[in-house]
Amino acid sequence: MDGAAEPTDVVVAAAGGDLHAFEQLYRQFSPRIYGLCLRLTGQREAAEDCTQESFVAAWRALHGFEQRSRFSTWLHRIAVRTVLARRRGLRVEYEVGEPHAGLPEVADPAGDGMPHDLERAIAALPDGARDVLVLVGIYGFSHAEAAAALGTAEGTCKAQLHRARGLLAAALGMVER
Amino acid sequence: MTDSSQKSLDELLAGLPRDLAPPRELWPRIAARLAPLPRRSRPILLAAAAAIVGACIAGALTWSVLRGRQAPDAPQLAMVAPRFDEPRDARYVAARDSLESTFRERLALLDPGTRAKIEASLAVIRQAHEDIRNALGADPASPVLEQLWQSTWHDELDLYEHVVQATQSPFTRT
Repeated sequence: MDGAAEPTDVVVAAAGGDLHAFEQLYRQFSPRIYGLCLRLTGQREAAEDCTQESFVAAWRALHGFEQRSRFSTWLHRIAVRTVLARRRGLRVEYEVGEPHAGLPEVADPAGDGMPHDLERAIAALPDGARDVLVLVGIYGFSHAEAAAALGTAEGTCKAQLHRARGLLAAALGMVER
Repeated sequence: MTDSSQKSLDELLAGLPRDLAPPRELWPRIAARLAPLPRRSRPILLAAAAAIVGACIAGALTWSVLRGRQAPDAPQLAMVAPRFDEPRDARYVAARDSLESTFRERLALLDPGTRAKIEASLAVIRQAHEDIRNALGADPASPVLEQLWQSTWHDELDLYEHVVQATQSPFTRT
């Protein structure tokens, strides 16, 4: 999921109540967590809220973090759960119609120079398909990790990814006739 | 979808930046909500428990005052129950503000003695809320304190609701 070096000492210090160490963790991981939240929610404001909530929740739970998994994996999972909890409690309108919602545009894979907003196409996917695509396709979760984070079966996860790829390919005009 | 187009799509996805910097600095708001990590202590839990008992007593006192004054059968709450674990939710805040505003208007119509008792009750509830918040600061992962924290929001809104309902004209009561 994340090849970056794990800041073990900083995690231990933060778990011991060192707020400065926790800020270091925030500085290191907030772009990743915000990116994840933004892609899962499709809204900047919701992504900011979820990022905040994720770090607050992480701080509160950090004393119980036993380092059996990587801190980054643990934090990603908190962020996914935060987004899912928010989604259950508050339906949101996606900002896919807004041209500058904070998501970068990418070039067309066919290289024809025609810009495609891949991020917007991802944001327009149905929730279940988008969740799996974002976690597995972009953030490198294994199917098992994605299934655990999303609280779903691994088979469902694979099916959703297949569906997401198909929808995305169609949206990007990559389906060959 | 062919294997080659699937591969292209996968490469495209894998090439997206994983890191996106938040447009605003979020740390100050996060830091403001962080308190020292849990140091479980009996006095804090006892203080929180005592506070919530105080809040319940205050609520009961207020209700008895209003009940004796009028409103034989208080109708069910008309407001849609908000999510109390998300007090920053805009809809919740708007509903609460609206109810509090009506509460303040109605409170002004009550006689001074009743008003004083209700304000004293509200003060007790808010003190309980503050005490529990402090206790949560020391033990943020405590489900018991979370529960107590939520219950003080209920207590405050219940107080508003009781006053609003009890002071409503019999002809307009729902």
